[in-house]
Amino acid sequence: MSLRLKSVTTIVFFRKNGVVALKTPFYDLCLSSLNPQNPITDVKALASAMTNLVLSNATDTLSYIQELIKQGADPQLQKPLADCAELYIPVVKYNLPQAINALMRGRFGFTSYLLSDAGKQAQDCEKNFSGSSQSPLTERNKLLSNLCDVAVAILKLLQKG
Amino acid sequence: MGWYHLFYQYNPDSAVWGNITWGHAVSRDLIHWFYLPFAMVPDQWYDTNGVWTGSATLLPDGQIMMLYTGDTNDSVQVQNLAYPANLSDPLLIDWIKYPGNPVLVPPTGIETDEFRDPTTGWVGPDGKWRITIGSRINETIGVSLVYQTTNFTTYELLEGFLHAVPGTGMWECVDFYPVAINGSQGLDTSANGPDIKHVLKASLDNTKVDYYALGTYDPVTDRWTPDNPKEDVGIGLRVDYGRYYASKTFYDQYKKRRILWGWINETDTEEDDLEKGWASVQTIPRAVLFDNKTGTNLLQWPVEEIESLRLNSTDFEEVLVEPGSVVPLDIGMAAQLDIFVEFETELISDSVVEEYGCSGGAVDRSSLGPFGILAIADQTLSELTPVFFRPVNSTDGTLKTYFCADETRSSKALDVFKQVYGSTVPVLEDEKLGMRVLVDHSIVESFAQGGRTVITSRIYPTEAIYGAARLFLFNNATSVNVKATLKIWELNSAFIRPFPFVDSN
Repeated sequence: MSLRLKSVTTIVFFRKNGVVALKTPFYDLCLSSLNPQNPITDVKALASAMTNLVLSNATDTLSYIQELIKQGADPQLQKPLADCAELYIPVVKYNLPQAINALMRGRFGFTSYLLSDAGKQAQDCEKNFSGSSQSPLTERNKLLSNLCDVAVAILKLLQKG
Repeated sequence: MGWYHLFYQYNPDSAVWGNITWGHAVSRDLIHWFYLPFAMVPDQWYDTNGVWTGSATLLPDGQIMMLYTGDTNDSVQVQNLAYPANLSDPLLIDWIKYPGNPVLVPPTGIETDEFRDPTTGWVGPDGKWRITIGSRINETIGVSLVYQTTNFTTYELLEGFLHAVPGTGMWECVDFYPVAINGSQGLDTSANGPDIKHVLKASLDNTKVDYYALGTYDPVTDRWTPDNPKEDVGIGLRVDYGRYYASKTFYDQYKKRRILWGWINETDTEEDDLEKGWASVQTIPRAVLFDNKTGTNLLQWPVEEIESLRLNSTDFEEVLVEPGSVVPLDIGMAAQLDIFVEFETELISDSVVEEYGCSGGAVDRSSLGPFGILAIADQTLSELTPVFFRPVNSTDGTLKTYFCADETRSSKALDVFKQVYGSTVPVLEDEKLGMRVLVDHSIVESFAQGGRTVITSRIYPTEAIYGAARLFLFNNATSVNVKATLKIWELNSAFIRPFPFVDSN
């Protein structure tokens, strides 16, 4: 299956010995033996894996943000970091778990909406760091945004049926 | 006595966006509305793909110039002129589209599908009218173009922009209007002078959020500059921190106030909207004033005519709500309410320096908050919508106060978008924390500190409905006792319906 993705730079899909794996700088995920006889289940399993990956990535990034705030190394970054935490917390606590639940129940459109929104929160977080302050989250925000794009693309396949 | 007119984007054929037509409704008091026939339908090549947003300019001689965006048969966005067929008809039922339409087409350098939503006109010192239209440059810079006109049929594009903000993307529904610095009334759109600031507002297409900023307008250069560039349009204050978009104001010249309308779109799925057969509501109109006390934001307040819906009221004096507790308020029907609450807090154990915002919702306990009300809750609290304050002794040494609405447990329904909304609200020394909350079945409009921060919530309760809806006080802080003083009115329905035309035989 092929997916049209926007500029994804750090996510690599590869198939090795019947195993599809997703390699990212921060998190590795492998799905074992996708069943070629039942494509819909495969795509749904992939969507599910992606959504879970988005959640772990977001959770990890949130902990990282909270750690940076605690360390308080750069006072100029405290406010943008706090604003980022405000964006990530509801994504991790409410929206992504809701997306996982919606996906399980086959509500692909709604799942897509929630994932898109999560991606937007990551972009808004990055915007908090304007010219003067250097964002310590650029790689992470970009990754989350890209992962959400991938998940939404996969869900489009599911929505087409 | 005249009629207030509301023209709204409407799809007569479906509960999802499309075939956009101008719906029309009238009211004497901004609260009781009557539906009239459609004012304009997409029946010309220049608006066949949609009769989109527009604005009315009232001329001194009584004429009404209605400029609106039409989406043409080639999906190009153009501006068209329309005017009432009969100015002596108080209901303004019939409208004529200017035969020379379109009056404006996208200029060179502007994308043909990013040129829409012309504003109400204002007069400059040279006697010419100006309008502004939002767009974008290089896809990421939000801008507002300025056109000059003497007749509303021919225009001159001015060089440059009224203002531009990088990174904000397409500006939809631009609104531009003056506010009095030390005044208590609204101002005509053409007003200018030393005791006046100008508000520039844009709806950001990329994020579907309405932003505004206060600044100074130079009528000679036709440029607007923000008071605080760090809180420029699109990167600073929001008009409303909840589910709210595409808002715009108009000047009510009889009661001398600036009135704000806002669109609450649905957070359920499109399938649900199609099944229920309708979608979208408007907020209760709000009067807008400059906040003289802070000098840095606007105040929004429900129009006073809402008081005509008030039935009986109940008072509660200094109700004690201890940490971790919920107190029911015995008020009868709780689905249609106008609630005023004031809070006093008493520190009962050491408070902590901490970082908290709205984002975790009302379940997150911090030392000084959250506390507030539980609106549209059922008896067992299986559904509830907390509206609350969370004061925080921040790590930067200041006391911040967050004002939030938490939809995460507002409904047992699974496929509705349930957010936590909110922001900090300025609280001046010696001010008590206070909120006003309008509750209407599935909409909650929450106003903090006289309207400095406003949050609109769109919820879909399944249990907390009609007679089963309840109201509670809650305190989930760890280190403060809270005393709440409330005045709560039950609100009558507005009985919005078609205009009662009577056959004249």
